[in-house]
Amino acid sequence: MVRSGNAPYLFKNMGPTQSKDSKTIWTIGGGKGGSGKSFITVNMGICLSKSGSRVILVDADLGGANLHTFLGLPPPAFTLSDFIKKRVKHLHEVLIPTEVPNLFLLTGAQDLLNAMDSKNVQKRKLLRSIQHLEGDYVLVDLGGGNSISVLDFFLMSDGGILVVTPEPTSIENTYRFLKSAFYRRLRQSVSSHAVKALIDGAMDRKSEIAIQNPYELIKAVRRINEEEAKKIEMEVETFQPNLILNQVRSRKDIEIGFSIRSACQKYFGIRLHYLGYIVYDQDVGYSVRRRRPLVLENAHSRAAQCVSEIASKLASRHQMSFQF
Amino acid sequence: MKGIDEQTYYEILEVSSAATSREIQKAYEHAKETFHTDSLAVYSLFSEQEIQGIQVAIEEAYRVLMDETLRKSYDQSHYQILGQQKLEKPPEIPAPLREKKPPRASADVPVHVGEEIYRGKTLRQIRERMSIDLETIAQETRINLKTLELIEGEDLEKLPPLVYLKGFLKGYAQSLGLDPHKVVEEYVHFLDEEKKKIAS
Repeated sequence: MVRSGNAPYLFKNMGPTQSKDSKTIWTIGGGKGGSGKSFITVNMGICLSKSGSRVILVDADLGGANLHTFLGLPPPAFTLSDFIKKRVKHLHEVLIPTEVPNLFLLTGAQDLLNAMDSKNVQKRKLLRSIQHLEGDYVLVDLGGGNSISVLDFFLMSDGGILVVTPEPTSIENTYRFLKSAFYRRLRQSVSSHAVKALIDGAMDRKSEIAIQNPYELIKAVRRINEEEAKKIEMEVETFQPNLILNQVRSRKDIEIGFSIRSACQKYFGIRLHYLGYIVYDQDVGYSVRRRRPLVLENAHSRAAQCVSEIASKLASRHQMSFQF
Repeated sequence: MKGIDEQTYYEILEVSSAATSREIQKAYEHAKETFHTDSLAVYSLFSEQEIQGIQVAIEEAYRVLMDETLRKSYDQSHYQILGQQKLEKPPEIPAPLREKKPPRASADVPVHVGEEIYRGKTLRQIRERMSIDLETIAQETRINLKTLELIEGEDLEKLPPLVYLKGFLKGYAQSLGLDPHKVVEEYVHFLDEEKKKIAS
């Protein structure tokens, strides 16, 4: 069993994720449902709000919006759907206050993001409105899945957080999600149709274009368009997602986070920030069943301490690093 | 973005060009663990061929960077190739760990510890490659010099009782920047196997 907290490791500065108006948006995603994204979103939001910051939780889980359940709230009367369908004019009108001071919830209807895939205008409007919400922190819970809308929400901020458990299925799905997000971001950065086609080819393993990895993609792009290749390299440089390892049971599990970081560096050429880990703790299950957030119900539990520590590092923008 | 064949040895091991031999050792352990064929972190991201290519690069980077002469020569040729005017400062090994005399002859022989388990012989090879003498380890860890010699010498008869031995191994492993749990586990496993051989 591992100790709670991330004390044996050092924390280093991580890349900036703050938007121009000093509001920070964190999008919490990853490939697999059940890895703890909603649990982390709610509990981390509470930790951040305790320091006096105004925090807004956005429930964009297309598999089932239920952040309200984690907070012990009844199904909300107003949701993001009311905003999309123009039943309310401004997004802040569907904000729900919670029992935690400074913490607000914005909840979505089921399949909201899937429904929006074909409606780009609505999606852009919603993304823009979320970016203009008044708060110090906006935490967006994305749930599972790799749909275009989920990817666009994840890419809304440079501070996308991936939640992974130390299991092959979870890691595999997270890589799949990261690849999709990565190539989507590259695709958005270029204008040449030929380069976009190369990126599409790299995403599709069965494509006739034999591009196996991002490095080969950049080489291929450079052969046809040097300027676009530079743009892509710049995107790779600035894409710095974050990682939280959940449900760790051993020291070896904790180190998987460092290995994922190294693998991403070698494969994508990106800097993945390892924010920290949360130990496996039965108190998490108890708190979910009682519909009471763990950091309120049992702040001294090992998992709550881990969440609290990650939130604190997040607020000061630090990541875990090896202690040489 | 660079392919594995374009990365410097420092980039391959994810260390700075001023990394100490201890830092390189630790980074090598991490890289070896990460890019092991069965590693959870890589099997679904890289092809087997890519993993093999990275493993070869890691071993080569480690071999060169852990050898003072090869490293100096690599640094000079690398920076000349890059056309950089100024050579970076040579790596600094912390004073207490730096042996005054030149590295022993065995340090010139590549040690592929990745293929061996941690036993006395491998611990000695790693220490010698890092140019650290046993007295320095004894001073740093406060483990008796004789005990360290017995650990390296794998003297089954004279080694301290297991409960103490584990503590000594942990301290020794930490002083070399190795994974203490792995060292203890593998060393004890090695002793068990040796005892079985003797008994049979």
